[in-house]
Amino acid sequence: MIHDKLTTWVLIVLTVLSAAACLVAVVRLRKKSAGRGLWCVQLSLTGLCTAGSMGLFTYRALVVHRGWQPLESHVDGLLLIAALFAVMVLFLQSLGGVAGLATFALPVLTLILAWAICASAWTFYFFEIDSVWKTVHLAAVYLGTLFFAVAAIGGGMFLYVQRGLRCKRLGGGRGLASLEAIERLIVWASASGFALLSLGLAMGLILVASGPTKLGEGWWYSPKFVAATAVWLIYGAVMNARHAASYRGARAAWLSIAGLVLLLVTFGLVHATSDANADTAEFGIGLTHVGAAN
Amino acid sequence: MHVMMLGINHRTAGVELRERLAISGTQLDSVVEQLRERFPAAEVVILSTCNRTELYIARPSRAAPSVDQVKAYLIEMSGLDPEVVGGALVDLRNEQAVNHVFRVACGLESMVLGEPQVLGQVKRAYEAAHGRGVVGPVLHQVFQRAIRVAKRVRTQTGIASGRVSIGSVAVDFAKQIFERFDDKTIVGIGAGELAKPMLGYLKRLRPAKLWVANRSPDKAQVIASKLGLGGEAGGARPYEELDELLVEADIVLTSTGASQPIVTAERFKPVWRRRRHRPLFMIDTAVPRDVEPAVGEFENVYLYNLDDLQRVVERTHGRREGLVEVCEAMLTEAVSSCMSQVQNRDIGQLVSALRKHLHDIGLAEQQRTMRKLAAGGAEGLTHELIEEHTQRLINKVLHLPLSQLDSRKPASSLGFYAAALRELFGLDQQQTSLTQVETDGPSADSSSEGLRVEINDTPPRTTPVRERA
Repeated sequence: MIHDKLTTWVLIVLTVLSAAACLVAVVRLRKKSAGRGLWCVQLSLTGLCTAGSMGLFTYRALVVHRGWQPLESHVDGLLLIAALFAVMVLFLQSLGGVAGLATFALPVLTLILAWAICASAWTFYFFEIDSVWKTVHLAAVYLGTLFFAVAAIGGGMFLYVQRGLRCKRLGGGRGLASLEAIERLIVWASASGFALLSLGLAMGLILVASGPTKLGEGWWYSPKFVAATAVWLIYGAVMNARHAASYRGARAAWLSIAGLVLLLVTFGLVHATSDANADTAEFGIGLTHVGAAN
Repeated sequence: MHVMMLGINHRTAGVELRERLAISGTQLDSVVEQLRERFPAAEVVILSTCNRTELYIARPSRAAPSVDQVKAYLIEMSGLDPEVVGGALVDLRNEQAVNHVFRVACGLESMVLGEPQVLGQVKRAYEAAHGRGVVGPVLHQVFQRAIRVAKRVRTQTGIASGRVSIGSVAVDFAKQIFERFDDKTIVGIGAGELAKPMLGYLKRLRPAKLWVANRSPDKAQVIASKLGLGGEAGGARPYEELDELLVEADIVLTSTGASQPIVTAERFKPVWRRRRHRPLFMIDTAVPRDVEPAVGEFENVYLYNLDDLQRVVERTHGRREGLVEVCEAMLTEAVSSCMSQVQNRDIGQLVSALRKHLHDIGLAEQQRTMRKLAAGGAEGLTHELIEEHTQRLINKVLHLPLSQLDSRKPASSLGFYAAALRELFGLDQQQTSLTQVETDGPSADSSSEGLRVEINDTPPRTTPVRERA
């Protein structure tokens, strides 16, 4: 049994918890002086979401799946992203370098979990991983997306703090990190995401070059290839923002957001075009065969 | 127990008088010693800060000191004209005094509303008094509660949050832009009134370099040396190097007396290019302004003038003033609870003292009767002895309470004690007739002998008055 109702219900609970954490984070941001109590509530809810996502991923790997592979379907991929994303946010918060990151990251976590509900209940499909190349390709693309999401969150945060400074409003009491720290996060996350995306694309190229794939003969001008290349180029620019002086500050922030949006649009676009002609195009995150939901 | 507060503060006395009445750490021992000698039964906490000198005293109901005695001591200590000191002194008693210490601890009585330092000062004052052994159960209760409540009020209302000085606001803005300062350069341009204090604030960020430039190099040198700059840490630079300094700087503070802006958009443009878009935080404290507002439009340049910083300070003040009512509501409840505890404790002590007193009377009478019985001369008189014992016991117990019904006392006192006795012993008009105790006052014929009390043979009802009602 692949299509598991328990997964959907647990995902709904996790999404609600994440949305609640999100709400608490917004209240903390709006309040001039939030007490430690709210911070503890937010941390507990985020911790529950993290543990829940990891637990559900493990449950699916051990109980639900057909074979030994933990990443068997799209919902597994999203669960893995959600768990890793939450762990990363908690880790960055514990380092104390980018104060207030969770406030901006929690909405994204909620969206990923909501997406996972859709992937579990309505658009369920499983991956068909038949080679190491595909495994590396998928892992690199998923993890790359995760880092890009962090970079985009940093971008949003940068613009928020900068707007406060431009309005001569002091945001120190709200415990948000400095522009310098946020910019460093953007560059670090973009660089990591870029490296993983490069790896993922390289693996994809090997796959399409090594034999016939569903992208067909004209793979190099297929929407998936063109959009993925565009995303790769944008992130390349953001990654080099430190060296190209004009791509600093707000520009780098906007680019990191635009990059993630483009990445998501790419997934969506490819998905939409492939629906019309599923036999000739790959769709979804990564270069995989897509099976029908059971 | 009575709690009182006597002292002066920034609202009632000028700095000259506050200086004269201030009790420094070195004076504290001798002042405490003097108070202990004069008023041995009193508990004392002395709170002396730059804005107030206040003595908090708790004493048993009939013990010293009175308010006048403490006033006299403070006047004597200051060595000033009694009228001057007396006019500035504030005295508060019981609930008002407790309320005051709670307000002080919360910063509601401070010159800068909600300032957090005063809580530490209250805590240190209490600890100093406790260490010298002049804090008893009452002031212990009051100060412990005040410190606890002040922390709660600050956390829950956020009255202490926000910045109240221009320098600290500038530092906060800098911290919103930069993560670290040990690789940053701060440049001060001009030697205006605010230059030194503002640079002093910024120096606390421990920048890699801090340069000062002024049209008059001597003034720049004076500021640099006052800030302790020199060598690698920075120092004075020629004013002619202004453009170069603007390229190097991460934070710029301007405070010149120039009548025209010294940093115009036109002048800044090539500087901005040379900076390669590095963020620049500019604080313009000069009036007229030193930096053209258009400079703030450049990317990654954050320009603030004096009004911008002042506005943040005013917002903090406004917000804090809006929170006063919330804080006061929290304090009202806490003060009332604290006073109840103090009074309960007082009554507890009263009850145990009464028990001990009665027990001592009973013991003395018991020993007397036992001696008579042991003497053997009382054979066959056991009944009489027990009766005598009982009568003596009753008389001794009632002697002091009934002596309060002396007709020479004012009528209001007599009425009060009569009502109290009725209430305390569950008596009523039918059982007891008290001659000349009516509120009309004593009659002339009884005035010389006091009151005669007749207690009926009927045993008193033991049911409490409340229950009967």
